[in-house]
Amino acid sequence: MIEVRDLVKRYDDLVAVSGIDLDVNAGEVYSILGPNGAGKTTSVEIMECLRKKTSGEVRILGHDIEKGQREIRKRIGVLPQSFNAFDYLTVKENIEYFGGLFDKRIPTEELIEAVQLQDKRDTWFLNLSGGLKQRVGVAIAMVNDPDLVFLDEPTTGLDPKARREVWEVIRKLKSQNKTVILTTHYMEEAEVLSDHVAIMNEGKFIALGTPRQIIDRHGSGSTCVVKGANAAAAEAVRSAGMIFEASNGDLMVRMENKGSLPKLISLLSTSEVTYDEVLIKGSTLEDVFLKLTGKKLAEVEQ
Amino acid sequence: MRSKHVMVDLKGQARSFFRVKSNLFWVFAFPLLLIIIFGAIFSNMGSESVTLNVQNLDEGPGSQQLLVALNETGMVKLKFISPTTDLDQHIKDNSLAHVLVIPANYSSNLASNVTAPVELRLDETVSTSGTVFNAVNGVVNAFNLQMAGGEESIVITTGSIVQKRFTFLDFFVPGIIGLTIMTTCVFNVQGTISRFRTNGIFRKLATTPMTPFEWLLSRILWHLFISFLTLAVIMGFGVLIFGMNMSVNLPVVLMIVAGSAMFSALGMIVARFVKNEETASMAANAITFPMMFLSGTFFQLEMMPSYLQQVAAVLPLTYMSQGLRDAMVYDNLAGAYFNLAVVAVIGVIFVILAVLITKWEEE
Repeated sequence: MIEVRDLVKRYDDLVAVSGIDLDVNAGEVYSILGPNGAGKTTSVEIMECLRKKTSGEVRILGHDIEKGQREIRKRIGVLPQSFNAFDYLTVKENIEYFGGLFDKRIPTEELIEAVQLQDKRDTWFLNLSGGLKQRVGVAIAMVNDPDLVFLDEPTTGLDPKARREVWEVIRKLKSQNKTVILTTHYMEEAEVLSDHVAIMNEGKFIALGTPRQIIDRHGSGSTCVVKGANAAAAEAVRSAGMIFEASNGDLMVRMENKGSLPKLISLLSTSEVTYDEVLIKGSTLEDVFLKLTGKKLAEVEQ
Repeated sequence: MRSKHVMVDLKGQARSFFRVKSNLFWVFAFPLLLIIIFGAIFSNMGSESVTLNVQNLDEGPGSQQLLVALNETGMVKLKFISPTTDLDQHIKDNSLAHVLVIPANYSSNLASNVTAPVELRLDETVSTSGTVFNAVNGVVNAFNLQMAGGEESIVITTGSIVQKRFTFLDFFVPGIIGLTIMTTCVFNVQGTISRFRTNGIFRKLATTPMTPFEWLLSRILWHLFISFLTLAVIMGFGVLIFGMNMSVNLPVVLMIVAGSAMFSALGMIVARFVKNEETASMAANAITFPMMFLSGTFFQLEMMPSYLQQVAAVLPLTYMSQGLRDAMVYDNLAGAYFNLAVVAVIGVIFVILAVLITKWEEE
């Protein structure tokens, strides 16, 4: 569906995208995860024929990005970043407007149903909440029954409930066997929705693969958190030679192998050790990003 | 070019345009307010008395009664011209705007029940003419009522000191049509482009098969419709409320087409060169404001100092308003077509420029 080789985009002296490769297969949800300014939107906007590349090769649905623009536009659906439709048209009229621009189109009512906006059908776009606006955007992106759908930060700025509603709509796209390219700076979103993830930072992909593969390859394994541990607990773990970090009276103990957990439990059962609770945490994409860049996703956003 | 794409956008505009309350204001209420306010200011300046020059050729008592009554209205101050003066020359020499002539046989006609005419010569382009006419007309009507129960013993024959009888509104209303078309087209088109660029609608449209040219064409066509609506509304108001006499002919139609396209394209050009939404709106103001006041909408160009007249000569609205006036009111077809040619040439240049510089992509 998508083949990208050594894509570069330069603005004057700023390099927004510095040589990325990407292969996306039919029917998968592929997420590009990274902080603001990483180059995610620039990359997908080149694939959507919105921006011109500086160099490299991009093929979408078998067409070259520069020669095949007309053909590509007919067969892709796009939810652009910070999407807006026409304020003074209703949900239904907006979908009809964009549908009218394509020869191949899905009936408006079907799309309204797909994004669950039946009771907002005749509401002006202006009067919709952020989450509902994004759902209209997804419906409009689907209007030409595209083979490939780009969703550029579909949940940015939404509250958690609205975000989950958008996720449902994306899952529905996947169940219809659409290929979806999703950009996001929420690692949870990428982890929950995607078949493949590319983590992007400063114009480069720093990790590629399924969420599981990335975590296995770059993550630091599981961590056992001992909350409210006393000094004796810390001393016991240290003398047993386990790798750990201490903060605010909590111990974060790395689970290096199968034996780590029983060993820790036995250390904690001695009489002088006290603690409040114990929990086990898996590694996340957030941890991977932190490990690879030394920064938290949220910090880079500032 | 796919006409289907143009139709889709036209339909979208037709559905949404009047849902925006401010559009209703600018297209309907604004021009009517201007006409009412300025019509009132300029046609009722008669709170102070106005000088009416009188040449009384009659020596009987009838004319004296008439003049006493006129004096008592307090609306006009009478100033007498000697019966032996050459009136036409006197008017010219003294730039008189209002002259009443009472013919020699006035009193005897009245006495013998023959219709007695008085002649009122007015320069209708002077705003006080209405006051003078009302004063004389009121007195004559009162006399008629008194003497003959409403039968017209005295009639006023009006003569114009300029070629024809034009009121301030005749001058003003075509200018308001031009002005409203300018503001609607420039502000709407500029506002829409700036807003669509800021809120991302252009980015979305860029991912569809519609081309920028198709979109521009639809916007120009829609504003053409709005411009004709403006013409109909203002003309209807002028004819129904003020009893004005205006005609719509070929040069009027062509002028609306050319002017509307010219100002829509101007809005596009402003929005393209000034990227920031607020700055663009200020730029549109900076361009339309001088035209509003210097293009002879509210004041005649001849009243302005010559350097301002030179400024007016390079403003497109000057030609549009003057052309509309020539065609709608003055029956001056040569003037109308000259002004139309100027607007058409500027319009073609603006539209070509707008088409060349408008594109979806930012980079």
